Amino acid sequence: MTDARMELPQGTLDLLILKTLALGAQHGWAISERMQQISKDVLRIQQGSLYPALHRLERRGWIKGRWSASDNNRRAKYYELTRAGRKQLEAEESAWRKLAAAVGNLLETA
Amino acid sequence: MLSDLWIRMRALLRRKSVESELAEELQFHVEEQARKYEALGFTREEAWRRARLKFGAAESVKEECREARGVFFLETLWQDIRFGARMLRKSPGFTAVAVLTLALGIGANTAIFTVMNGLMFRTLPVRDPGRLVEILHHYPDDPEPGFNGFSWDAYRRLRDGNHVFSDLFIGSTMNFAPVRADKLQPQTLFVGAVGGRFFQELGVRPAAGRLIGPEDVHLGYHAPVAVVSWSFWKTRFNLDPEIIGKKIVVGDDPPLTIVGVAQRGFYGLSYEARQDVWWPTTLGPSAGWGLPLFARLKPEISVEQARTEIAVLSPSVVDAPDAGPFVHKMKLRIELAGNGVTTPLTQMLSTPLKVLMAMVSLLLLLACANLAGLLLARGASRQHEMGVRACLGAARARLLRQTLTESLLLSLAGCAVGMFLAYFAVHALIRVFASGRLMLGAPVHFEALTSPDIHVLVFTGAIALFTGLLCGAVPALRASHIAPAAALQPGSRIGETLRQRLFGKGLVASQVAISLVLMSSAGLFVGYLLHLRNFNLGFQRNNLLLVTLDFAHSGYDEAQSSRLSQELLMRLDAIPGVSSATFSDMSPMEGPGASSFASAADHPEKQIPVSMNYIAPAYFATFGTPFLAGRDFSARDQAGSPVAIINQAAARGCFGTENPIGKHITLSHITLTKGERTYEVVGVVGNAKYNDLQQAAPPTVYANLPQQSSVHSQLAIRTRIDPDSVANAVRQTEAAVLKSVPIVRIMTMNEQIDSSIVPQRLIAMFSAGFGALGALLAAIGLYGLLAHTVARRTHELGVRIALGASSHSVMRIVLRDALLLLGAGVAVGIPLALWGKSIAASLIQDLPSGSIVPVVWGILGMIAVAIAAVYVPARRAVKVDPMVALRWE
Repeated sequence: MTDARMELPQGTLDLLILKTLALGAQHGWAISERMQQISKDVLRIQQGSLYPALHRLERRGWIKGRWSASDNNRRAKYYELTRAGRKQLEAEESAWRKLAAAVGNLLETA
Repeated sequence: MLSDLWIRMRALLRRKSVESELAEELQFHVEEQARKYEALGFTREEAWRRARLKFGAAESVKEECREARGVFFLETLWQDIRFGARMLRKSPGFTAVAVLTLALGIGANTAIFTVMNGLMFRTLPVRDPGRLVEILHHYPDDPEPGFNGFSWDAYRRLRDGNHVFSDLFIGSTMNFAPVRADKLQPQTLFVGAVGGRFFQELGVRPAAGRLIGPEDVHLGYHAPVAVVSWSFWKTRFNLDPEIIGKKIVVGDDPPLTIVGVAQRGFYGLSYEARQDVWWPTTLGPSAGWGLPLFARLKPEISVEQARTEIAVLSPSVVDAPDAGPFVHKMKLRIELAGNGVTTPLTQMLSTPLKVLMAMVSLLLLLACANLAGLLLARGASRQHEMGVRACLGAARARLLRQTLTESLLLSLAGCAVGMFLAYFAVHALIRVFASGRLMLGAPVHFEALTSPDIHVLVFTGAIALFTGLLCGAVPALRASHIAPAAALQPGSRIGETLRQRLFGKGLVASQVAISLVLMSSAGLFVGYLLHLRNFNLGFQRNNLLLVTLDFAHSGYDEAQSSRLSQELLMRLDAIPGVSSATFSDMSPMEGPGASSFASAADHPEKQIPVSMNYIAPAYFATFGTPFLAGRDFSARDQAGSPVAIINQAAARGCFGTENPIGKHITLSHITLTKGERTYEVVGVVGNAKYNDLQQAAPPTVYANLPQQSSVHSQLAIRTRIDPDSVANAVRQTEAAVLKSVPIVRIMTMNEQIDSSIVPQRLIAMFSAGFGALGALLAAIGLYGLLAHTVARRTHELGVRIALGASSHSVMRIVLRDALLLLGAGVAVGIPLALWGKSIAASLIQDLPSGSIVPVVWGILGMIAVAIAAVYVPARRAVKVDPMVALRWE
């Protein structure tokens, strides 16, 4: 199982976080679990690199952090997408798809 | 964008809570992960261990989060400042010397600049000051700016004949007089007569009532109204709204009715000669030549164009028939007036201030070199620390910034102390100004020179910043270019390359050079002052007491005044310690007096300008001027025909080589009596300086005071003992005989001379101070370098001593270094000092700049500095204990 895990290409962590948050506000732990779940454990995300990414995104104003009570009544910091974040997500998503399509075409024809 | 800023601000200001939030967030994650593991069946400890492992090192995650958040520049700056301050506190000796050095350099500059700013750079609070000019008469070769006074005709001619002024208007005269208002004590204030459009042109608005306008100014008379300044209204009337309509009396003129108060902050066209009362001028021939003219340049006209035009218009004014004979020799010129009109104070001080400014700039350079040397030496001893920091990951830029912050902190501290010192220096300067003879009795507003001004603060801040960056640059660059491996080696000595050492030596040599220049300049100016205080004036300057009396309101008629004056002279003669006493119209250094044109009666074509003085008998005996021929005035002359005594220059000018005794001399255009007067010459005396110490004694004609029954307000007393000890007796005697004649002033002749040479005293005093400071700084710099060298070479010296070197040869090593530096500094300094001398000679007239004594004085000073600096290091070198030195690795 460990062999199948891939390192995340540069810069896509941000995109994935934004996409994850598009479904609703979550705290860091939940984001990490969800990303692992959805990628069916293929992507190896260092838990430690998640938080710097979150803070960076918060600084750039694409997500907003809010302290609130978690499901087991503990204090946790929930992040949610801002409007600018939504726009950024769209832009990055389309850029990613274009890139993936182009690379795919290249691989097929060559 | 905004969120970015907000987050950074929060990170800066509420650091604790931000940090604890971060810790809590990460902790939450680990807890959740541990819970998950627990749910999977692990024990509590195992779950936690795995959770933490999975998460990674918490501290580095935190660090990355902090970095991701972005650190505010201010935060690291604050860190640098705190660290720098702690470092400086740890070495109090170094910090004290560095701050003091900077304080001296910065403070001296601030002091001089404050005065220059107050006197020359501040714009007046009037409309469009940049285009305001005044029109002056002046002698073409005279450095004095001239006087601003025109006749009614001249005004009209200029007004109608020019194309460069958008307005030509009559400004305000400037004199001071006692002002009486409301039963309060009279106060001497600056006052002036103004033209009808004065306030309007300058854009001044009334704070109360109305201002003087064209309706108050007429041909031949003026409305008896007055406008006062806001501060007059406040201090004398307490802002009483009833001030309009009150009466005010200026000098001996008829009372004026106050019609308004000028806007707050307006005091006429000079800061130091603040005016408090204005009244309307009188137009027409009766104004004489007393109308001051100001103008505003048209927007498209440059100052040069205006100057050309005025030169063209000049003859129409100066050659007019109603102009006095002196005026024909003058030309008209324009001076920018936006920064205040030229007053005696500005005239007196502009050159000295420029000279002093040059000197303090040199002093600042010296202080910078000194500080740079100190910082370099300090940096060399902190290499180990810098190496450790570089190893721990400090970026080069960060090291650079940290070292620069330290030197900026030093310069900030030096700036603060310097401003404190400058305060005292400025007041010392003002005390010297205030003793000037043109200031005596005038209510000059010296606070104008010292009031805080934004320009001064900006200037001081700028030079503090500049010195901090300049001095800190090289040490900072060195610190940031540390090779950590080399620096961290145990026992690594204070490694310096040859180039670095040469740089340090170069700094000290340059300090010696600058100090030499300062000291030789000081020698030049002090020597000049001593010369002025001691050379032959044509009369004896010591033991002479001068008393100024005010007969104006005495109520005595001529006969009474004359009789009482005679009695006073007799009583004064009787005072023990007095050898003689006399009266005169003017005393020698009081200022310019009456002047006229004289010619021998039988050669009326050969006219020469002469100065005139009215004297009583015994004048020359009292002043110590020798008689060359003839006799003194006596009591018998009073009833006879007019007699005069002339000096040698006048005799030669009018009579050539003939003996003038018994011949007659004619004076024309006498200012005190109209028309011509002929006198019989009864005596010839030696030339004596008059009004100006440096100009040659003018041809002088002395008329008989009692005979001419003229004003006689100067009393001169020659004493056998110290004049000040006789002053009290003189006061009492005078009060007893002339009961209603107050004494305006008592001073010794030496004091009067001093009051006429304020610029020279100023430069001498302060250049001596700066020279001494410069020498001190150079000594400190030299000492520092030599001590550092000895410390660096302790090991080597220990070896030498162990091998049997005598103490002489060890001392020679240290002395050789010192001599080399001294020699280099002197070699560079001498040409600079000579160059400086020639510049000073071009700025200051009559400066005796021929001799090289000042330069020699400077060299001697530097030798003394070197001896003082070398003493301790040399002794230390000799006392090196070989055992200790060899062990110290």
